[in-house]
Amino acid sequence: MKILAIDTSCDDTCAAVVENRKIITNIVSSQINLYKDWGGVVPNIAKWAHKKRIDLVINKALNLHLAPSSKKRESINSIDVIAVTQGPGLAVALEVGIDKAKALAKQYKKKLIAVNHIEGHLLSTLFNHQIAFPALGLTVSGGHSQIILIHSIGDYRIIGETLDDAAGEALDKAARILGLGYPGGPIIERLAQKGNKNFLKLPKVLPDNKILNFSFSGLKTSFYYQIKNLSPQQISSHLSDYAASYQEAVFEQLIRKFRLAVEKYQPKVLLAAGGVMSNLELRNKLRQLAKTLNLPINMPYNQKLNTDNAAMIGLTAYYKALKGEFVEDIDKLDRKPRLKLDY
Amino acid sequence: MPATKKQIIQILKMGGLVVIPSDTVYGLAVDATQSKAVEKLLKFKERWPGKAIAVFCDSFKMASDYAIINNNVQTIYTNWLPGPFTLIVEGRHRLAKGIEAEDGSLGIRIPNYPLIIEVVKEFGRPITATSANLSGHRPHYSTTSFLKTLSEKKRRMIDLIVDVGKLPRNKPSTVVDIREPKIKILRRGDFITPNGQTFISHSAQETQKIAGTLLSKIPQPIILGLSGDLGTGKTVFSQGIGRAMGIKEKITSPTFTIYNDYGKFLHIDLYRINNQEELMELNIFNAIKNKKVVCIEWIENLGKTNLVKLTQIAPLKFLTFKYIDEHTREIKL
Repeated sequence: MKILAIDTSCDDTCAAVVENRKIITNIVSSQINLYKDWGGVVPNIAKWAHKKRIDLVINKALNLHLAPSSKKRESINSIDVIAVTQGPGLAVALEVGIDKAKALAKQYKKKLIAVNHIEGHLLSTLFNHQIAFPALGLTVSGGHSQIILIHSIGDYRIIGETLDDAAGEALDKAARILGLGYPGGPIIERLAQKGNKNFLKLPKVLPDNKILNFSFSGLKTSFYYQIKNLSPQQISSHLSDYAASYQEAVFEQLIRKFRLAVEKYQPKVLLAAGGVMSNLELRNKLRQLAKTLNLPINMPYNQKLNTDNAAMIGLTAYYKALKGEFVEDIDKLDRKPRLKLDY
Repeated sequence: MPATKKQIIQILKMGGLVVIPSDTVYGLAVDATQSKAVEKLLKFKERWPGKAIAVFCDSFKMASDYAIINNNVQTIYTNWLPGPFTLIVEGRHRLAKGIEAEDGSLGIRIPNYPLIIEVVKEFGRPITATSANLSGHRPHYSTTSFLKTLSEKKRRMIDLIVDVGKLPRNKPSTVVDIREPKIKILRRGDFITPNGQTFISHSAQETQKIAGTLLSKIPQPIILGLSGDLGTGKTVFSQGIGRAMGIKEKITSPTFTIYNDYGKFLHIDLYRINNQEELMELNIFNAIKNKKVVCIEWIENLGKTNLVKLTQIAPLKFLTFKYIDEHTREIKL
């Protein structure tokens, strides 16, 4: 089964082709040079300009930019199913992907599958792994931080989530506080490698072991007001230490709460996905946790699968297709910016 | 079944003592114009008579019959009353002895509690607003906890109990002395406004309460433009607005998704906006239409032209947030 998947839930315009559980192409607008591939016809376009980018990105996912003789070119006729992210995300952004998917499905008489973006992240861990139930998933990105109990594919329960800021947002904002630009998660990670993580004292958030939710806004505030009073020289001479201390505080909370959830729900396997999972320090911490608990842990196998992408939407759609979960009335499909994972 | 308005008024008329719920704690109400009733109250509370007892009024109009309310005070507080404030003003000495303090000052409360407003309105004169406790003891949020502290003799002095169960844990009112041009805060309640424009919050909960009270004072639809540094409570404030509007969903930071739509409430965060071109792609003006309340964090990123455009959709109010210390924030209208 070949699936063309589209995701326009936030900043990036994404399209991918997957065949069963294998990725054929996985295109993310911010990671390709539209300008170069399209001979300079595309101007430098703004964030959220999905409408201006969507055709280019889909065509690239179908390899239509290659020479007509190329065997890699994918005819849309060979696609069996079209999949699209329905939510959660930014309303005006979601709309672009959905409109496009609906138009393609109608024009080429293809079946359509609507996918939850968070389920996509969660299942992005399954491209080269098997799952056992119950499983416990941790999704952390700029937009969300959740602990999800998985009874079977399609049957989820959110048992912990952020009460304010997402973990990725907390890291991004810290980078901006240190004057490092936004988004800054990757910069914080690089600096933190050389820093002393005990340099700055930050509060232990939500110490109550019964609470499985996260909160990062207090951490951010405490960090900000400790940094604010420092001179630029003081900041730059300990930049790595500040980055390391802050990153440690964010990860400490993620690991602590995830561990509590594991102890409470006794899963057979752990899953971890989302943009922040690109961070090697966090991956190591999670591996260590899994090792201590004697549990297997699945994480996306490449960097591109951590951040927003459409391949994960394609894989999720594949599982849904096996269960026959197609959109019944294509015209009625609408975006759901606050779509929930559990019902 | 709680007592009816009619019953309450009847008891008050006869000089009776009524335990009554309010927007803060349970209170002890007697007719503030009847000497006998006030004497009974003082005896019950074991209170030294030289200390003033605040009174509930239904309006500024009633208050000015019994106290000197200058126009300045009225303009400042018009926005915040009814609400959890006790205003210390100069009395006109028309109330029963023991109500005004030795120095002739009087405490006025216009509570944000329809039952009291209606009773006082119909009764046509102020009733006492002192909290239901014995002098020097803590106030009560349920009648059962209050009654437990009383002796049998004291219990028999009460003529009527209006029991509506547990009240939300709001602090007693903020007491402000407004007799001098420089306003003095005598007791800190849930929220404080030294001048009616600035609020000092001591916790996230307080910030949320300030949001809720503010919301009840502003006609809707309204757009609230929130500006202030990181970590000054803009998201917490927006959560308070959402709660006050009865939204049950978790309200989280919209930094990443730019805006979260809760039906009648829209929560926008322009933190990630770098230029006007990006803003155009978001089409936020369309999203704002038909909303009752819109909170926009980092409104400074909107740009002047868009601000004007915004005011064409709904009235816009600015709020600035400032960090004072670890737990304290200043919110300015």
